[in-house]
Amino acid sequence: MLSVSHLSKSFNYRPVLKDITFNLNASETIVIMGKNGAGKSTLLRILARIMACDSGEVLFQNIDMFKGVPNARKKLLYLGHAPAMYTALSAVENLELAMDLRESSVDQSIIRDHLDKFGLLDQADDPISIYSQGMLQRLKLTYAELADWDLLLIDEPFSGLDQDGILQMDDALTRWKLGFKSMCMVLHNRERAEQYGDRILHLDDGLILEE
Amino acid sequence: MTPFFQNKTNRVWFLLAAGFILFNIWNVIYNIPMVPDQHWAQKIFYVHVPSAWVGFLSYFIVMIAGIMFFVKGHDKWDDVGLAAAEIGTLFMALVLITGPIWATPIWGQPWIWEPRLTTTLILFLIYIGYFMMRSFGGHAERVRRYAAALGIIAFVDVPIIFVSVQFWAPEIQSHPQVEMASQPPGILIPFLLSLGIFTIIYTLMLKFRIHVIKIKNRNVADV
Amino acid sequence: MFFTLLKKELFIEFRSREVTLSMLVFGLSIILAFAFTTNVSKVIVANYVPGMFWIMVLFVTVLGVHRSFAYEKEFDAFSMLISAPIDRGLIFVAKWISGFIFLTLMEILVAIPFFKFLLIDFPPDPFLAIGTTLLINLAIMAVASLVSGIAMRARLSEVLLPVLLFPLLSPVIISATKISAGIMAGDPFKLWQIWLLIILSIIVIFALVGYTLFDFITEE
Repeated sequence: MLSVSHLSKSFNYRPVLKDITFNLNASETIVIMGKNGAGKSTLLRILARIMACDSGEVLFQNIDMFKGVPNARKKLLYLGHAPAMYTALSAVENLELAMDLRESSVDQSIIRDHLDKFGLLDQADDPISIYSQGMLQRLKLTYAELADWDLLLIDEPFSGLDQDGILQMDDALTRWKLGFKSMCMVLHNRERAEQYGDRILHLDDGLILEE
Repeated sequence: MTPFFQNKTNRVWFLLAAGFILFNIWNVIYNIPMVPDQHWAQKIFYVHVPSAWVGFLSYFIVMIAGIMFFVKGHDKWDDVGLAAAEIGTLFMALVLITGPIWATPIWGQPWIWEPRLTTTLILFLIYIGYFMMRSFGGHAERVRRYAAALGIIAFVDVPIIFVSVQFWAPEIQSHPQVEMASQPPGILIPFLLSLGIFTIIYTLMLKFRIHVIKIKNRNVADV
Repeated sequence: MFFTLLKKELFIEFRSREVTLSMLVFGLSIILAFAFTTNVSKVIVANYVPGMFWIMVLFVTVLGVHRSFAYEKEFDAFSMLISAPIDRGLIFVAKWISGFIFLTLMEILVAIPFFKFLLIDFPPDPFLAIGTTLLINLAIMAVASLVSGIAMRARLSEVLLPVLLFPLLSPVIISATKISAGIMAGDPFKLWQIWLLIILSIIVIFALVGYTLFDFITEE
């Protein structure tokens, strides 16, 4: 499904990722762990082609991500720390736009149904600039529910969520796992990592160590 | 990495280039006949025009390096681009200094918006921005992509800048190079010689600078 | 897909009005400064009017184009665009065309104050003036959107943008001033057609270069 080979990335000649090589099989979940600043988020952003890397190769569904056509990213979904949505637009408008960009437009009513499920319907038409951290996290979760993806890159899914939100996130992750979806997530909590991950990779000193 | 001058070819080329420079200076000052109506002022052309040629060549190399950097994605093209940009800007500065030196006695004032000089000035300013971006635009790996893009659009802009500047002030049509070509061989041949010598020096400088940049990057990486 | 992107640019602007409003207010302040520094004498101003107009447009463009890329960085919104399965060159085209629309809108709003405050007559052939202005706007925005795309992720982008943009735009400044001066003076087309040709070549070249380069420069 995803094959990463010899990926490297430096910031001002300080290598953060030195020689990252790993494979992710279909319907497998990989958890990436590591200290703060170990380059976990950087790795996910490179895989989503949001950040450029210095060298290396990434094959997603056997298509070279760095050379392939934009369509190679079609079945990939990245959810980072930031919401990656426009502050001036409402939740509904943002999701509509995001789905249009993925070339799989959905009806507004479906979006509203999903927002309702995650308790965002009341604020669905407010600009997301007034959303709280937890609400933005729920918004991302809604996006992941709506979008059609084969591989989800998710960065610290539980951060900023309240008790209710944690349950919903847990429910979604478990459901995706049981539905044989592939995921690559960054987690800090050991317990959760073991719960969701088929494999745990440790990112340390720019190298990947498998447990 | 071995020091630059431990390589025998580099050493030979350095000595040759040094010899050429000395010969060129001697040749220009003592040997070449004066152009009757310009006297000493004309001799600055043997520096001015080759500098301009080398400067534009260098900026052309920056563009090629930028394209190669995007196509191949290899850091060495960034080193080439940076080295060529630095040396190119140095020679462009020489052009901007020697131009007014010639113009002051001949035209009566240092600056009259001659199209080539104006184009040089605009390019020089673009490259000042280029180095500003390089030095405080962010971390090196990010900035090098922007620098490559900038090198490409700067050179793509050159012909447009030149044409527009030329038509902007059509009354100024004194092109040193054109006059040069119509000079007798006693002046033309040393001029072409100087052009060649500058190109050799430039090639050596570029090679040396790329070497230095490589060492610098590696040292920063090791810290 | 291009229309989705363009719709997004226009819709966000419709919501926030950040770009057009800041352009408009800044443009008016510049006109005010021009009026104060020239003592508004018809004799003095007439010669400089085309230049003044395009200087104003240039300053306003920097502000607008910077804003239009700056909001992409809030909440990391830009990563929604670049991680989407779309041709990134289209992001450039959308920014370019939307910037063109905002600039034209600003010029329409600012045109009457410009001519009336500086006590000058409207151009003899308004359609010619409007037509050429549209083309010049396209040229300015093509260069500005590309340079802004390059500078947006850099530190001090607000400094780098004008420093890089002004010299790169010098052919456009020259051509625009010459065209406007020609139209204001009622010169025949033959006298200033070369400048229109330069503007057209800038539009074509920078559109192609921008479309091609954007794939490489949008990543963080």
